[in-house]
Amino acid sequence: MFFRMMTGALLRQRGRMAMIAVTMALGASICTAMLNVMFDVGDKVNQELKSYGANLTVVPRAASFLGDLYSEAGDADMGGGADKYLAEDELPKLKTIFWAFNIVDFAPYLESSALVKSGGKSANATVHGTWFDKQFDAPTGESVQTGMGRMKSWWDVKGAWAEDGSPCCEASGMIGASLASKLGVGPGDKVSVSDRSGADVTIAGVFQSGGADDESLFVPLWLAQEISSRQGLVSRVEVSALTTPENDLARRAARDPNSLSRHEWDTWYCTAYISSIAYQIEEVISNARAKPVLQVAESEGAILQKTQLLMILLTALSLSCASLAISNLVTASVMERSAEIGLIKAVGASSFEVSALIITETMITALLGGAAGYFAGLGFAQLIGHTVFGSSIEVRPLVIPLVTLLTVTVALAGSLPAIRLLLSLRPAEVLHGR
Amino acid sequence: MFFKMLVSSLVRRRSRLLAALCAVAIGGTVLLGMASISYDIPRQMGREFRSYGANMVLVASGEEALLGLEDAEKAASVIPPASLVGMTPYRYEMVRVNMQGYTAVGTVFESARKTSPYWSVTGEWPAGSDDILIGSDIAEFTGLARGSSITITGRASDGSRFSRDVTVSGVIRSGSVEDGFIIMSLPALEALMGNSGVADMAELSIAGTETELGEIASSIRAGVPNVSPRLVKRVTQSEAAVLSKLQALVVIVSAVVLVLTMICVATTMMTVVMERRREIGLKKAIGAENRSIAKEFLGEGVLLGFLGGVLGAVFGYVFAQTVCVNVFGRGIILDWKLLPLTIAVSIAVTVCACLLPVRRAVEVEPALVLRGE
Repeated sequence: MFFRMMTGALLRQRGRMAMIAVTMALGASICTAMLNVMFDVGDKVNQELKSYGANLTVVPRAASFLGDLYSEAGDADMGGGADKYLAEDELPKLKTIFWAFNIVDFAPYLESSALVKSGGKSANATVHGTWFDKQFDAPTGESVQTGMGRMKSWWDVKGAWAEDGSPCCEASGMIGASLASKLGVGPGDKVSVSDRSGADVTIAGVFQSGGADDESLFVPLWLAQEISSRQGLVSRVEVSALTTPENDLARRAARDPNSLSRHEWDTWYCTAYISSIAYQIEEVISNARAKPVLQVAESEGAILQKTQLLMILLTALSLSCASLAISNLVTASVMERSAEIGLIKAVGASSFEVSALIITETMITALLGGAAGYFAGLGFAQLIGHTVFGSSIEVRPLVIPLVTLLTVTVALAGSLPAIRLLLSLRPAEVLHGR
Repeated sequence: MFFKMLVSSLVRRRSRLLAALCAVAIGGTVLLGMASISYDIPRQMGREFRSYGANMVLVASGEEALLGLEDAEKAASVIPPASLVGMTPYRYEMVRVNMQGYTAVGTVFESARKTSPYWSVTGEWPAGSDDILIGSDIAEFTGLARGSSITITGRASDGSRFSRDVTVSGVIRSGSVEDGFIIMSLPALEALMGNSGVADMAELSIAGTETELGEIASSIRAGVPNVSPRLVKRVTQSEAAVLSKLQALVVIVSAVVLVLTMICVATTMMTVVMERRREIGLKKAIGAENRSIAKEFLGEGVLLGFLGGVLGAVFGYVFAQTVCVNVFGRGIILDWKLLPLTIAVSIAVTVCACLLPVRRAVEVEPALVLRGE
């Protein structure tokens, strides 16, 4: 009987029920879109912040700063050369650490100060050897493409990015704007570089970085190794990694990983803190020290937290506004049914039966609307993801129970005041039409 | 007569109108709150991005090697004080400690903490002129720590030799060049070197967009010819890129929420009006014209929209203020143009939502409506 009345009511009152369902769908789609975006905004903004460049530098363990002070040219033969450098062939191992997938890009550098000549002019400049855009196979079998080109997004390049090339052919390089104007060269010109031995480099592009790099020349790594006779060596690696904002545990671990308890150590090692990624890099690259670049690492954390907090607050406030508006509407549309309820009461239904009928009807409608709204909300979330970040928002299963809970609460909150009012009505008065 | 009908209809159906008013006010709240937040986001977030440190450096222009501090001050005075976060001069000199050469940096710690907020110091920031900071690489290499005493020697600018005992008050870690520097206060370094008033460069941290920075740079170039300002592209361009994405995110989220809320408001208004079909039927039966009925509902809609809009504007301001204070710890700057806009949109949505059901009710036969069909 109850069931028949309900289906009857649902079918006969299609218009009114459709109204509740549509509003619920709207509300549920706001919730779904906002919650999905909120959960994913951290990852997305983290990706965007990668445009600030490397957040880790890997340097040789042996007195990284002494190199700057004493070396200049000719320290390779001052003995103990190897421990002042990292080995180029170890670099693919960066892609084997626990958080390998979080390492977005990396590029090795080898500096030497050389005489750069073009036409009649010459200047002493720092020559950086690097990977511009390198492809290699990681030990895991995966093909990796990385290099400096992806990490210096702020460079303003006239001409083209240089290519890595190989020792067989002519090398191409990139020159800083200040050095270029000193030498009077532009894209397409040739310069000759000489340190211990010399080589010719074709300038592919002139860049403006707004920093000290503007005074220097960038060439493929193999060329820099050749002219300074430091085959297979690199002096530093810049790594750009996706990290989790630091907390207390990470700060303690950064000071001394051995001070952690076994359990804490596991948590720390298996979380993408910058200190644990640095630790894991030190594990795979021999005699290396990985230092977080605090300018990037600390700021990333601060900005990520602010963005997440902003999204959480916006989500919470707009959800509560939407809930208020919807429950308001549910109240209004349940109230409309006073004549029908009066009739049911007049033929002898108890208050409990009336309430059960109304609540079940509203719930079924609300849940149907909510389900439709969930899928519409997924659409909205993808729309936001693609317009803003150019990538899709990950769909979190956690959102489904949250949206269901919200739908049920809102529907209940909306029908309860209406039911109280309806129950206080006298059947005769209502039926009479007052 | 029109006014009397309007007021009495509002007063008689208090609870229903309260519901409608509530809906309109919520719509207004979301509208004003979201609009002012997305309007103010670049300013608020821009301040947060200052944690990346300096976005402009000043160096001496032309053939001059050293930057005069007076010129730097003059350049800084060109910048509006509200957007200048800090200006820090840096002077680099070679010194020796235990016969080893190091780079000593003279700076102003108070402003360095503003322009390089990411510096992490273990120990104390130097207080007196005998206190210095050492980079973490130096600390690791030499075994010096907080509290160690060292003797700094070197050649002053006039060629004479100096020697001075100083105390390490802390170890600085930044992950970049500062890890290999000895850092002391600028007056202390000037006292050692014997000349003052010059620096190698000065770092500026300025809150503003890339274009604003460009304008500031050109006005410095025009006003102070001895100084050449350079934008730190890495910071300015990346900030512009990330900030524009963040603003787009907030704008689009606001737009979605706003549209959905407005639809909710409209549907609520529709239900409220739908209920009054009998009343419309009765009015028509006793001879009201369609136009006068529509006019009455329109008047009600305008009044409701106005009240709801005003309420919404007040709550919306509270909403935006709450979000900003909680997230950024700063108040929001309200764009006053948004207030009339909120009220206008509230009225428009309410009136539109009323018109549709009224048109439908007016079209039916009064007898049918009155019979309850």
